[in-house]
Amino acid sequence: MRGCALKFRRNLYFQPCRRALSISSASSPNTHDHSRSLPDPFALVAPELSQIRKDLVRLLGSAHPGLDEIASYYFLRPSKQLRPLLILLFSQATNGLGRDWPLKQWMSEQPRPGGCLENLDEPLSRANILNDWNPNIKDKTTLYDPEFTFSLPQTPKELPPPPLSIFSSLERELTSPLSILPTQMRLAQIVEMVHAASLLHDDVIDESPLRRGSTSAPEAFGKKFAVLGGNFVLGRASVALARLGDPEVVQLIASIIANLVEGEILQMQDVEADDILAVPSSQIAKNAWTMYLQKTYMKTASLMAKGARSAVVLGGCMDGETYKEVAYAYGRNLGIAFQLVDDVLDYEAVEDTLGKPGGADLQLGLATGPALYAWEEHPEMGPLIERKFGEVGDVEFARDLVRKSAGVERTRALAIAYAEQARDVLQALPESEARAALEALTERVIKRKS
Amino acid sequence: MRAWPSLSVCKHRHLQFAQRRQHSVLSHNLKAYVSPRPTAVLNTAELLPASPRDPYVLVASEIDQLRSNLLNLLGSAHPTLHQLAQHYFVHPSKQLRPLVVLLLSRATNGLGSEWEQKKWIAECERVSGRDEELDQPLTRPGVLNDNNPNMPEHTTSFQSLFALQTPKISPEHPPLPFPYETNSVSRLVNPPMILPAQIRLAQLMEMIHVASSLHDHIADSSDGSGNKLAVLGGDFLLGRASTALSRLGDDEVVELVATVIANIVEGTIWKASNVGTRPVESPVSPSQGWNRYFNRIYLGSASLLAKAGRAAVILGGSKEGEIWKEVAYMYGLHVGFANQLMKDVNSYEEDASSFDALTAPLIYAWEEHSFLKPIIQRQFSEEGDVEQARHAVHTCSGLERTRMLAFKHAEKAREVLHFLPDSDTKDALEELTIRTVEART
Repeated sequence: MRGCALKFRRNLYFQPCRRALSISSASSPNTHDHSRSLPDPFALVAPELSQIRKDLVRLLGSAHPGLDEIASYYFLRPSKQLRPLLILLFSQATNGLGRDWPLKQWMSEQPRPGGCLENLDEPLSRANILNDWNPNIKDKTTLYDPEFTFSLPQTPKELPPPPLSIFSSLERELTSPLSILPTQMRLAQIVEMVHAASLLHDDVIDESPLRRGSTSAPEAFGKKFAVLGGNFVLGRASVALARLGDPEVVQLIASIIANLVEGEILQMQDVEADDILAVPSSQIAKNAWTMYLQKTYMKTASLMAKGARSAVVLGGCMDGETYKEVAYAYGRNLGIAFQLVDDVLDYEAVEDTLGKPGGADLQLGLATGPALYAWEEHPEMGPLIERKFGEVGDVEFARDLVRKSAGVERTRALAIAYAEQARDVLQALPESEARAALEALTERVIKRKS
Repeated sequence: MRAWPSLSVCKHRHLQFAQRRQHSVLSHNLKAYVSPRPTAVLNTAELLPASPRDPYVLVASEIDQLRSNLLNLLGSAHPTLHQLAQHYFVHPSKQLRPLVVLLLSRATNGLGSEWEQKKWIAECERVSGRDEELDQPLTRPGVLNDNNPNMPEHTTSFQSLFALQTPKISPEHPPLPFPYETNSVSRLVNPPMILPAQIRLAQLMEMIHVASSLHDHIADSSDGSGNKLAVLGGDFLLGRASTALSRLGDDEVVELVATVIANIVEGTIWKASNVGTRPVESPVSPSQGWNRYFNRIYLGSASLLAKAGRAAVILGGSKEGEIWKEVAYMYGLHVGFANQLMKDVNSYEEDASSFDALTAPLIYAWEEHSFLKPIIQRQFSEEGDVEQARHAVHTCSGLERTRMLAFKHAEKAREVLHFLPDSDTKDALEELTIRTVEART
């Protein structure tokens, strides 16, 4: 059963997905080894997650109290911390395996760029050049001084090379106990900051009054300052990124920033169709699905995929080793599964509450998985999608069509397929508690209700 | 070590201030210049020598290329973003930032001890063709423009679940051929050249600038779609700039530019009156007013030019302990200050009815007239406040004194240039300092 997902030859979306019926129950004989209880993925790294959250706000300090407030706004609320979790678990699941692991381990004890924890806050340029005053890190930052004078700095001492002994052993295995490097902890914070910055901007674009049950930042501070706050968080995240000292990781994370906005722009594209009332031809539907999944990748999965990959790179995994690819494939499939479930919940949550006019996605004019599946079964959905549910009554009619169709079930089945795929690629890693936690995570993502 | 050259460039100037003789690059003390009122209004024509050369000429083709790249990028994205391209086309920017980056590059390439390595890497990249990716238009449906140099490409992989990819080994640059000439003698490369990385830096600094302007124009009262465009447009540019920045491959440069992004936000926030729930008090004295003001314009304007200049020279191979990146930083810093001071003078003259912030002309006036304090503290909210403030500025020659401060900064920038070997680019940099403080006709 595990191998089945890899052998899909036809497009997934056109199969009513008969597998759905067999996967839904946990006691299915097809899922492997359910006698072993999977750990709670969050519990495995709970102390680290808590540390990350406390430390993160420290990085955002600024002289202006208002900016301080905006930048830390979303971090003071409880959040799932799914993205940092992924970074931490993949670090534990692969540290020790990479060819350069001995070097990374040695570096983590050295007072040098990309080394021990204290050095991750050490500026690469002099503090009086950067002038990025942070009251929480007073000894390494300054305010601009109008009496700043020209000076010729000292040539820095050359850092000693690592001892040759760390290169002597070729054996690689997972560290015992499982470990996380300071750079990987910092990466988890950076990823969370990038995510928060995108939320700040998204809430302005979507004009949402609420986020996680309380007032959104644009509602509290105004649109302009919410956007600027997001830029500030992004700037500080990028500074921290530079100080990790790994150009490959810098490139990966920077590309996520571009992905996020380009996904948003892609979402604005119109669905094209020649004859919008006909049953969508396979090409039209394929385009609609491609756009949807591509948008999902760019807005959600990319951060998870590249974040996980970056964690593995920081652990010393090199080009040609499979671990980076495992991380990327896991993150990508999990991320898409996560978003598909999100889209399903947007429809289901409506059902529980009486009289609520419609899920947020329809209100925003977005055709997600359930709507696209419904379109296949009910061609009259086509014009609604094309006009982004803009006319009076569209939202209700669309919701109705989705309810009548198998849209929600099929989307959930697709999510399960992606989650299974994520779990499957983990087989390329040696067994460990962290790997088991990552497997458990794939189930959690599917089973969640919020 | 160079001897202090005479200020020959200034031979046509007849400043009435004795302080001029006390200039030296080593005593950049702004506060010393924030002082006496001129006894007569200076005629700026007497101050500026005849200008022989347009600073844009030496880098005209690069500047044009950057401008059309930016237009293409904006235009190729979503049709809605196309409107932004139109706006940018109709209101072209002076491109001051790319100009500074390109000129400083051209004036210093060859001097840094790692110049040879940088030139070699540029040649390798040109051959491998990796450079053009960053100008590609926006991701189109079905085509995933997600090129990461270290990752295998997957453009059509949304038709099925994502399978585990075969790892790819990305090619490393061949090493610099040995033996190469170690740059023990600092000499400008001849003929002068600019590295692709430096052009890329110029482009991304302009993108950051345009993105900040877009985000600056988001308003709460206006319509949702206008705001959406401004947010997305700015974010799009910031995203591309971040990607380009990461590809430059230099952590020090990434750190510098990242602090610029944070600084710009801080500069804007300091200018606003009410942000968040914890209020910031208005300054209580002119001295505090000056501190606040210089801090703000550093963060909002000068920081970008200073750090962009420094980054350009780092990309040309200047190492820590060498003078070149310090020169670049100081030049950008002073030109940035001069530019912003002139802007504050000009916006004062143009818009007679509003006062949006405490700027230099008014702070000069405040030094002489303490009655301005309550007016400033209540942010010109009462009837007659603006008129009183304007009158005070006029009687204290606040505008002229601000101009003098701008000239001082331009002069400082010229002095720092003396550390560089002579070249036509250096002349262009000098010319730029003069043009920055020219009165608008």
